[in-house]
Amino acid sequence: MNKKAIVFLLVFAMVIVACGDTTEEAAVEATEEEHDHEGESTLEQVLERGFLKCGVSTGATGFTEVGDDGSYSGFDVDYCYAVAAAVFGDYSKVEFKQLTAAERFTALSAGEIDVLIRNTTWTQSRDTELGNDFGPTTYFDGQQLMGRVSDGLSSSSTLADIDGLRVCTNAGTTTEKNITEGAGLVGATIELVTVEAFSEAIDKFIAGECDIVTTDGSGLVGRRAVNDALNDWAIFPQSPISKEPLGPTYRSNDSQWADIINWVVYATIIADEYGVTRANIDSFDYDAAPEMGRLFGKNDGELQTKMGLKADAYYNVVKQIGNYDEIFSRNLNPLGLYREGGANARWTEGGLVYAPPAR
Amino acid sequence: MVDLIKKSAKSLQESLFSSVGSSVLTIATTYLVINFFRGMLGFALTSDKDWLAVLNNMQLYMVQAYPEEDFIRVWLSVGLTFVLAGLSIGIWRSEARVKSSQVFNSFFKGGLGVLFFTIIAPTNASFMGNDGSVITEEVLSMDSRLGILIPVVIFCAIFFSIRFTNVSFTVNSSDMVFFYLFIPVALLWFVKLPTIQLNQNNERIIPDPVMPIASSTKIPWTVIFVSFLVSYFIGMYLKNIKSIKSIMSLSWFLLPLLIFSWIFKKPQIDMSVVLGSDLPIFGVFLLWGFLVITFVNNALFKKYYSTYLGVTFLLTLAGVFSGLPMLAKTCLLLITLFSVVVPAVSTSSQGKRSLLIVWAVALVTLTFLLRGGASDTGIVVPGSSIFGGFSLTWLLAIFGTYVSFPLGVLLALGRNSKLPIIRIVCTGIIELTRSVPYITWLFFASVTLAVFLPAGVEFNLIVRVLMVTAFFSGAYFAENIRGGLQSIPKGQYEAADAIGMSPFQKISLIIMPQALRAVIPTLVSSAITAFKDSSLVTIIGLFDFLTIGKTVIGNQSIPVNFVGHDRENLIFVAIVYWIFTFTLSRRSMKVEKKLGLGER
Ligand SMILES: N[C@@H](CCC(=O)N[C@@H](CS)C(=O)NCC(=O)O)C(=O)O
Repeated sequence: MNKKAIVFLLVFAMVIVACGDTTEEAAVEATEEEHDHEGESTLEQVLERGFLKCGVSTGATGFTEVGDDGSYSGFDVDYCYAVAAAVFGDYSKVEFKQLTAAERFTALSAGEIDVLIRNTTWTQSRDTELGNDFGPTTYFDGQQLMGRVSDGLSSSSTLADIDGLRVCTNAGTTTEKNITEGAGLVGATIELVTVEAFSEAIDKFIAGECDIVTTDGSGLVGRRAVNDALNDWAIFPQSPISKEPLGPTYRSNDSQWADIINWVVYATIIADEYGVTRANIDSFDYDAAPEMGRLFGKNDGELQTKMGLKADAYYNVVKQIGNYDEIFSRNLNPLGLYREGGANARWTEGGLVYAPPAR
Repeated sequence: MVDLIKKSAKSLQESLFSSVGSSVLTIATTYLVINFFRGMLGFALTSDKDWLAVLNNMQLYMVQAYPEEDFIRVWLSVGLTFVLAGLSIGIWRSEARVKSSQVFNSFFKGGLGVLFFTIIAPTNASFMGNDGSVITEEVLSMDSRLGILIPVVIFCAIFFSIRFTNVSFTVNSSDMVFFYLFIPVALLWFVKLPTIQLNQNNERIIPDPVMPIASSTKIPWTVIFVSFLVSYFIGMYLKNIKSIKSIMSLSWFLLPLLIFSWIFKKPQIDMSVVLGSDLPIFGVFLLWGFLVITFVNNALFKKYYSTYLGVTFLLTLAGVFSGLPMLAKTCLLLITLFSVVVPAVSTSSQGKRSLLIVWAVALVTLTFLLRGGASDTGIVVPGSSIFGGFSLTWLLAIFGTYVSFPLGVLLALGRNSKLPIIRIVCTGIIELTRSVPYITWLFFASVTLAVFLPAGVEFNLIVRVLMVTAFFSGAYFAENIRGGLQSIPKGQYEAADAIGMSPFQKISLIIMPQALRAVIPTLVSSAITAFKDSSLVTIIGLFDFLTIGKTVIGNQSIPVNFVGHDRENLIFVAIVYWIFTFTLSRRSMKVEKKLGLGER
């Protein structure tokens, strides 16, 4: 090819690239003019975009996992799917954004995500200072520690026993603060090692670089189970060192969006109370349970439409994702986490899982 | 034979043990190297490592969540690249021949490498068990060691002794490519490895059943191999067609664009728009360019050239602010630029022909980009950004270089320009981009752009990152090229002026080729840096190759259970990066040698 032509190609490559960019920008500008988004509610934004942006964990056993085909699964992930099912009637309209503990609230307030469902503990400061509001708790958790039996630790050990040990956890969490405070109270001096993501802490623990890992109990039980270390690793103290109510988080000052998220959670809980599951949802006798009928829009669905949703929004949630019990057992039972006897049991069975009436 | 051994022993002694100091160094280094590899092998072979954590996640590593029903796009892109490569190798088939002794020697050396690792591999290795105790176990028994050693020794012996027979022939060096490609494709069909299988209760079957590896990819790869072979022969056949080489270069130029839009976008083509607006616009501007090229020598045209330019310019301005379709607007911009450049270049009929080709290609590319680039991604990926893993790393590296190189050339020229405004703008762009760390630009792409844009307006994050990357590495390329420009003696410019070249000819034919030639090593190292730096995108939430290995796989629990197996994945990732960068720098060394760089 002749040399001039080569040089020309170079020049045109640049021109084309430049034009390609400007046109895309221009195209975007055009859409900008068409709809001015200022002051739009979250629901409107989500509907217009066509999918939900949901913030999840970079990886928490049983809560957020990515399979070998890139698909997402887990307890938190299912609640993202449930919100999409309520808003669009199609659970798959979600884009997940995996966030570390330290970056999650920035992502939420910058509008990068519409809702954060990432093992996030409801605390006073997060609720007031960060411009967030919290939805109903989906999982009642509590912080525990995990160490090796060979180091003399057992399930009856206490915080005082970790004196002089290296403790690993991930940065930007309540875990980090609780352990510092708790160890100080009992006079234990610890060497706290914080990492970006919790999986690094587990790697360090396995490699012997940490003596103790600490996080929400659910994360510890799950990881011990899959590592076949039931007899080698001890989780303690028996009653957790903190309360960690985990649930969805959204930006303040958008009560329509807050209502939608809250009632997605409540709908799964109410469906569980009535025993409505994915399997029997279409054969269920709604005349015998008018509350279920109202929630699923069987009669007129007035309340759902007032929220800005379709009448059958919550029907779609349970139909596509399942009720609370189904979500829980699907994701957490295989890891050895059960509802019975714990705080996550139904309120009628001594637990804390409770929803206001749909009326 | 005896002579040979004596000779090599002597040269060994001279190069490694010439003095006490060098003997000590030799021994110490050998000891360190052997221990390093022993440690690595021991680490890799202990039973607590689960290498299936790597193998079972190949799809995730390659494309992340790219939907399976759209894999055909990926295969087509890979296939097309191989077909083009086959054609090019056929067309540029070198007549150089490789001696059989060289080939055998490399087999022999490869065998020696395997031998080395088999011999030094430790028999026992230890790891830390769940209970914190150190567990030592046998990782390579004597039997299995012998099982590897004996065949490899025989293999080496055969290829070593062949040189003493009179078996000797030569192979065309281009043909060798097929051989090297044939081996991995053949392996796909025959090698069986443990794989993950689940039983009815959705639990992992232990021990892992042995199955053929990557069975879903063997048919596509075989098809690709065969098409590669076929296109090679076609290429040899087409070799003598006159303009075939230009056509090939053009195809290589267009290929990345095509692949980009294929993999990234699934444009919904609206036939009525294509026929009713795109095609007419395309035709009009093709004709316009054709007329400009044809009449560029015409006296009348020359006389009114500046009027023509002015009118075109005004038309463009008016067009840009009018309601014309996007394609028409950009074409107007393009024709203005084109009209400015044409008279400066060529007047011979040959030059006119290539100009016309360039113009047509530019128009096609533009239309393509506008249709493919501006429409929505039609590819539905439940969950995440459209793809990640190695494809993302590759896209950032290749497309980043592809866009930023020309940008760098332009910026470098602009910085040396005599026009103050161009010089200042170019210097500004270069200095601004270079004075801020790449990570900051990435944050700019991901966060700041999102804050500035009104809610609801979305650019795909990958596109934003590509833009930022293009500018960032473009600025570095520009500085490298500027270095090259400065190394060119003034006499070259003066000589070009003296024989009456236009400024454009001077730059494109005299200055640039020399400047680029001088900076090839730095350009390659910039490209390598770009390849490795692409892993930084992880901090803005994109899943590049490294991130998949580092954070995603180590969280897969039930039923596969790869929790805590991050180290295997990190080693795998490191090896892959090494293979690519090493190959790249080796290649560039060869090119440098060929061009005789550093020799004058
Ligand atoms: N509930 C605590 C801790 C949340 C947390 O970081 N949990 C761990 C696992 S239980 C996690 O999600 N790790 C994944 C990661 O580090 O990205 C909080 O809200 O601060």
